[in-house]
Amino acid sequence: MKTKNRDQSLSDSRELDGSYDQLTDSIEDDFELSTVCHRPESMDKLQDQTKFTKKELQVLYRGFKNCGCSLLCLCFVPQECPSGVVNEENFKTIYSQFFPQGDSSMYAHFLFEAFDTDKNGSVSFEDFVFGLSIILRGTINDRLNWAFNLYDLNKDGCITKEEMLDIMKSIYDMMGKCTYPNMQDEAPREHVENFFQKMDRNKDGVVTIEEFIESCQKDENIMQSMQLFDNVI
Amino acid sequence: MAGGVAAWLPFARAAAIGWMPVASAPMPIPPKDKRKSQEGLIILNVSGTKFQTWKNTLERYPDTLLGSTERDFFFHEETNEYFFDRDPDIFRHILNFYRTGKLHYPRQECISAYDEELAFFGIIPEIIGDCCYEEYKDRRRENAERLQDDEEMDQSNDTTPVNLTPREYLWRAFENPHTSTLALVFYYVTGFFIAISVMANVVETVPCGLMPNRSKELSCGDRYALAFFCLDTACVMIFTFEYLLRLVAAPCRFKFMKSVMSVIDVVAIMPYYIGLVMTDNDQVSGAFVTLRVFRVFRIFKFSRHSAGLRILGYTLKSCASELGFLLFSLTMAIIIFATVMFYAEKGSTASKFTSIPAAFWYTIVTMTTLGYGDMVPKTIVGKVFGSICSLSGVLVIALPVPVIVSNFSRIYHQSQRAEKRRAQRKSRVAKIRAAKIRGTNAYMRYKHSGVMDSVEEASKEAGKLLVSKATSPPFESQHHHLLHCLEKTTNHEFVDEQTFQTNCMEISMMNKAGSRSSSLASSPRLSSCCSRRHRKKSSFSLPSTNNQELSTIQIRERPVVNSRSSLNARLNDDGGMTLKCDASYITPSMVTLSPPAVTSSGGGDGPTGSITYSQSNIVRVSAL
Repeated sequence: MKTKNRDQSLSDSRELDGSYDQLTDSIEDDFELSTVCHRPESMDKLQDQTKFTKKELQVLYRGFKNCGCSLLCLCFVPQECPSGVVNEENFKTIYSQFFPQGDSSMYAHFLFEAFDTDKNGSVSFEDFVFGLSIILRGTINDRLNWAFNLYDLNKDGCITKEEMLDIMKSIYDMMGKCTYPNMQDEAPREHVENFFQKMDRNKDGVVTIEEFIESCQKDENIMQSMQLFDNVI
Repeated sequence: MAGGVAAWLPFARAAAIGWMPVASAPMPIPPKDKRKSQEGLIILNVSGTKFQTWKNTLERYPDTLLGSTERDFFFHEETNEYFFDRDPDIFRHILNFYRTGKLHYPRQECISAYDEELAFFGIIPEIIGDCCYEEYKDRRRENAERLQDDEEMDQSNDTTPVNLTPREYLWRAFENPHTSTLALVFYYVTGFFIAISVMANVVETVPCGLMPNRSKELSCGDRYALAFFCLDTACVMIFTFEYLLRLVAAPCRFKFMKSVMSVIDVVAIMPYYIGLVMTDNDQVSGAFVTLRVFRVFRIFKFSRHSAGLRILGYTLKSCASELGFLLFSLTMAIIIFATVMFYAEKGSTASKFTSIPAAFWYTIVTMTTLGYGDMVPKTIVGKVFGSICSLSGVLVIALPVPVIVSNFSRIYHQSQRAEKRRAQRKSRVAKIRAAKIRGTNAYMRYKHSGVMDSVEEASKEAGKLLVSKATSPPFESQHHHLLHCLEKTTNHEFVDEQTFQTNCMEISMMNKAGSRSSSLASSPRLSSCCSRRHRKKSSFSLPSTNNQELSTIQIRERPVVNSRSSLNARLNDDGGMTLKCDASYITPSMVTLSPPAVTSSGGGDGPTGSITYSQSNIVRVSAL
């Protein structure tokens, strides 16, 4: 079954119904939108497109579909929970459960941007699975590409110092205040300087994808840590 | 970490790849995944109803029974499933909690059954979803109150009379007249005198016929002044005596003096004393007459005697806000309408509406639909407003009344329920006790048929015989064997109630002969050294009490010294029996009565096993 765009399916139903009323349309819109169910592509297709086995896809989907809703109710967050997709608020809430002592909202935001490849404001199961497929089953190069994509906030092909600083701050925010040694305000900035020293070959103030991949391949630690999560699923 | 996120943990770990390139140090090694396949269905067989779910679902909440390794205790090898001998209907909700993350409370289930199931499966009730949480809490509170009521009633009914000070005894007699005959008599006497006093007040004012040399008709009070005065004096004596007694007996005198009933008592008897003090002066006679009015408050003393009156009073107190609203709205309406009527009728001649306060009377009479007719509007405008006044009066009064009525109904039903439960409880207790006695009698039969032989081998044989007969089901025979082991362990034996009581009497007689105060008199010491909880549950008391614990198993001590005379001698030597309250033997609520000599000579004699019934020190034990 093809995945319909939300607007597309809405206009379809309008035509069939014939009850489209311009005046009152706006209110009904909201109700309809929330009950539009998003169904993912068939498992066979997903299996072709990703590197997961059927069983793994099953596990992923069940977790994705169930916990998206139930978790929010547990957090007493009164939000809409359309089944089948996860929006940014849900994403942030879910991610914050794992880092209770710090503030993980910024990093979750960046992650969301990275997963939401078609930029429609919500992460569908396909987005989710494609992303995970790369991280967990892709080649080292694929993973490095994905990481670069995560850092490159405006998707212009190069990482500037400001972008890196944002990323670094978001990572340090997740630590929270109670750390040993005490968290200094300058820590992210210093870390960014170190990063650029290592990665920026031609010292032009930005890191391009080639520089990034090249520098990472030279670093043993990074190469090893990239393979750390192979067995997560 | 909330259990629901367990399914998203792989994602969070995968997302950590974003930290890798910026990390400057090597990462730690990930933990080995011990259980490779987290997949798979689990079959949960709950009393025959099979539920199936993924293993992952259950493991979302690892701090519950189903999510942890605790469930392995319930694994049934033969059928390869987990078997729970619990209620399947409630289990459905529990399993739904794992699936959806929300715990719901089914309204038709009993709250304590539900709580038990939750406790069994290790789920805390605080995570019940918002949709059901309020209902759950309400039901729980109601249940707790009900149980507390029962307990309090138990306490108030079952305190033994032996261990109260005279003051407490007096107070209890006042509060609960049914506890002793004397209290009941006193109760009725005071009630009678209240009635007499009120009637005397009423009859005093009835015209009683003319005196021969007077033209005015005399009231009975003036004609038979002396008689009425004597009657009044007698009543006030009784009331004063009662009040002073209550004051003396009250546990907290200050609180008693502040209570409503005591205020009523004081108000009832004060006029008499003030009247005594004051002389028959003309100036104060007016005040004196007023005081006599207060005598009518004696009728409120009846509220001690009537529960319905107390309920009415309590209702009015609890509806104070509704009554206040009623009063306030009526006042507003009265003022408005009185003003309107006054100005409407101002023009008419010989109008009775001379002022606004004078019009108040008309407004009140009209709004309450009394309509005496002593004041009527004459102008048309006045009549129009008068009719509006009467119509609105009905509405204003009708609004708060249902609230008061429903309050009264609720409180009344609550008190009825309390009465009903009290009555039911007695019969329930009696039935339970009968069942327990049947059980102990079965054990007595078992003993008498098999085990009366003193020699151990003989008893063993008898036991074997009994087992081979197998007339009783295995559960019972094991239970009996257990009780028997207990007897052997403690060197005490079970007896039935009659034997116990006869032996009780024997002890008392023995003690009296030994010039000691009776063992029964020593019982206060006995119970006083036990904790209060024992006092409630167990009773070492005279045969006369019959309203106590739910079950009793009497234990008879088997003194190893067999001769009666020697025991007597020992008793006399001691100067008495010491009372041991230690509870090392059977149950914490057991109370033993043992002369010290027994333990010392216990080692000396062998286990002869012969029981001398005549010289036993009987103790009574309440089984827990």
